[in-house]
Amino acid sequence: MVFSSISFLYYFIPSVVLLYFLSPDRFKNSVLLLASLFFYGWGEPRYVILMLATITQGYVFGILIGRSHNRKRSKIFLTASVLCSLATLGCFKYADFFIENFNRVTGLSLPLLRLALPIGISFYTFQILSYVVDVYRRQVPAQKNYIDLAVYVAMFPQLIAGPIVRYSHIAGQLKGRSHSLEDAAAGIRRFLTGLSKKVLLADTLGQLAEAFRVTKEQSVLFCWLYAAAILLQIYFDFSGYSDMAIGLGRLFGFRFPENFNYPYISGSITEFWRRWHMSLGSWFRDYLYIPLGGNRVSRPRWFCNILLVWLATGLWHGAAWNFVLWGLMFGALLVLEKQWLLPWLKRHPVPGHFYVLLLITVSFVLFDSPDISSACSVVVSMFGGGKLPLVTTESLYYLKSYGILLAAGLIGATPLLSWIRKKIQACGRAARIWNGAEPVLLAGLLAVCTAFLIDGSFHPFLYFRF
Amino acid sequence: MGGKGNHILMVILIGGMLFGFCLWSLLKAPDRESLTERRQLSAFPEMTKEAVLSGRFMNDFENYALDQFPLRDSFRSVKAMVSRYGMGQKDNNGVYLQDGYLAKLDYPLNEQSVSYAARRFAYLYDRYLAGKNMKIYLSVVPDKGYFLAEAGGYPAMDYRALFHSLQAQMPYAEYIDLLPYLELSDYYRTDSHWRQEKIIPAAEYLAGRMGASGLRDIQIVSLDCPFYGVYYGQMALTPEPDQIFYADSPTLRACSVYDYETGSWLPVYDLEKGTERDPYQLFLSGSRPLLTLENPNAKTKRELILFRDSFGSAIAPLLAESYQKITLVDIRYVSPEILDKWICFQDQDILFLYSASVLNDSVTIK
Repeated sequence: MVFSSISFLYYFIPSVVLLYFLSPDRFKNSVLLLASLFFYGWGEPRYVILMLATITQGYVFGILIGRSHNRKRSKIFLTASVLCSLATLGCFKYADFFIENFNRVTGLSLPLLRLALPIGISFYTFQILSYVVDVYRRQVPAQKNYIDLAVYVAMFPQLIAGPIVRYSHIAGQLKGRSHSLEDAAAGIRRFLTGLSKKVLLADTLGQLAEAFRVTKEQSVLFCWLYAAAILLQIYFDFSGYSDMAIGLGRLFGFRFPENFNYPYISGSITEFWRRWHMSLGSWFRDYLYIPLGGNRVSRPRWFCNILLVWLATGLWHGAAWNFVLWGLMFGALLVLEKQWLLPWLKRHPVPGHFYVLLLITVSFVLFDSPDISSACSVVVSMFGGGKLPLVTTESLYYLKSYGILLAAGLIGATPLLSWIRKKIQACGRAARIWNGAEPVLLAGLLAVCTAFLIDGSFHPFLYFRF
Repeated sequence: MGGKGNHILMVILIGGMLFGFCLWSLLKAPDRESLTERRQLSAFPEMTKEAVLSGRFMNDFENYALDQFPLRDSFRSVKAMVSRYGMGQKDNNGVYLQDGYLAKLDYPLNEQSVSYAARRFAYLYDRYLAGKNMKIYLSVVPDKGYFLAEAGGYPAMDYRALFHSLQAQMPYAEYIDLLPYLELSDYYRTDSHWRQEKIIPAAEYLAGRMGASGLRDIQIVSLDCPFYGVYYGQMALTPEPDQIFYADSPTLRACSVYDYETGSWLPVYDLEKGTERDPYQLFLSGSRPLLTLENPNAKTKRELILFRDSFGSAIAPLLAESYQKITLVDIRYVSPEILDKWICFQDQDILFLYSASVLNDSVTIK
């Protein structure tokens, strides 16, 4: 089930909210777990068991690690749990990629597994991994209540597209949390902001990107329109989902970590990755980069660590060479910045912003393309190297048809609207008007999103495949 | 952020919408069809173990929830208005509004599709027509985009290239150019088709080029109900509906229509269909694979075989004056390989009359 669907908004959410708030506190986690299993099973009925098995191994090994006073023995349990998690992930997500490439290199023809990718497997596997590692590091006690651990992993707001929540972050909230009208209102506000980003901006811009993919009349202008469309689509899709997840979490009394902080205003790639998919970045930092030695090693080793982390980041996003290249591209850029560019970028913020936007745009063309050669073809054409006409009637039409939306998207990707809202909040009379108008505005947005859902059928969540 | 009043209002308004529409959806009797979209709406899916495990039930349920949502048509209109006036989008679901006319984005020219259609026509020629000294004509009906697209900055297929391509691939047919006799107002505002009462000059010209004459003593009769064309539902905006008129005459009143598919006689204008979901089916009862329009008062024994799509339904009666029999063949619904079971190809005039939009998406031609 996806958040941007009628069945979620008008059947699932009302039912779950009603059950949840009518239940006594001691049953609230059970209600959330059952709702989450139903939510997951709605899209992946066969893989509910796989997810429960993953949770169970995390639970059992967590207990074993927690009970073990022998460091060596707890390391064995940790290794076993990590291997279980990675083997599951490897089997379902990466096996065919490696078999294909093995066959290509060796000339053999080993059969592919052709397993369907379980939705959200990368997210919930990483949550289990962080949990057992944190238990091993004695940063958190092992969770003895299976339901509480299962709620941590499977909670539907963040189950299939993050943010990647650390157990340490919500362990206390799993045990007991408060609910308030303010939390409910804040959760609703955040959820509807995310829903609007997703339905009104990301999905509509996705149609522009789709028009480019199927066109028979490419042009330089169309290549740029496509690149701008996916730049904004990916951001609004993913940050919209994160907003919805954080908002739903808040409604049920949880505080999830932020995942985006206006990444497109960054002045360097280093800054961009501090603002984009922050929960993934910090996960790799804490569970891979620092254990590898981080920057407290020799300079060549440090750079190797960075490249390794970004190779893993690329692969996390997908089992394909364009994702590998995408990750390595960022690894290389980060190395370049750390070695030479950062001081210059700090002194020259304007070209710095252009540099970031240009490279991020190119990176998302690579990210979105089915293979590396298609991505290269688009990038080359963007800079006039594809022998394409500068404009066509079709590309001009799409520029006119999507111009307002692209401009709105660009403004929406900056903190401008948030800044305006804060200014209004700070001004007494305007704040009073805003406080009355905001719920009406959000109700209107919900109605418009519903209208777009009813009339359209183009609502893929890009981050579902991860 | 916000005060207590803001929080209360937020929870009441949004909660009210979510719970209200949830209850309304659950309690409302399901609708069977959408009149504006001219289609059956999804019914509640059957819940079986196989359907649930395969995920089919869930997909079908989402379709059901979408189709049966309360105020569905109003929501679709809201979407169309926000897209057009809020986001500045030039089309909604591929349909655009220009100068009061709804038209479909139909581009680019699909050369392969045109060639496929030409090959199927060549098959008809080789199998039934070649070497029989029959007069063969070809004409293409442009869609509204021909008149609207360029002025509005909408992309459109290269119509000239389409006409030339088809002519070049059908050297056995004499091309009749209808463009000088057509203009935008000859089409319905909300539908893809042309208006019969407006194409009388085009029909006269067509008949004249085939050595025949157009319909005489025409009386234009209006049908007293609004016509919501096929684009009306797709666009979801609410322009004024069209009105259907038809051309009646003493000749047509004496004509009869035989439907080979059902083996029954039909009226030239089925007025009951004029009040149904697709009123354009008034003309020769809509999509039929094989019909004959017989004129007992014809002054000659000439016959016409019209290979056609739905545009042919409106123009065929206007050609009835000089022909004793017009056979209408729609090879989207009948295989061209078995036509000789019903038609003896001999001495008739032959007219291939197809719309640009069907030629550009000819996959339905058999």
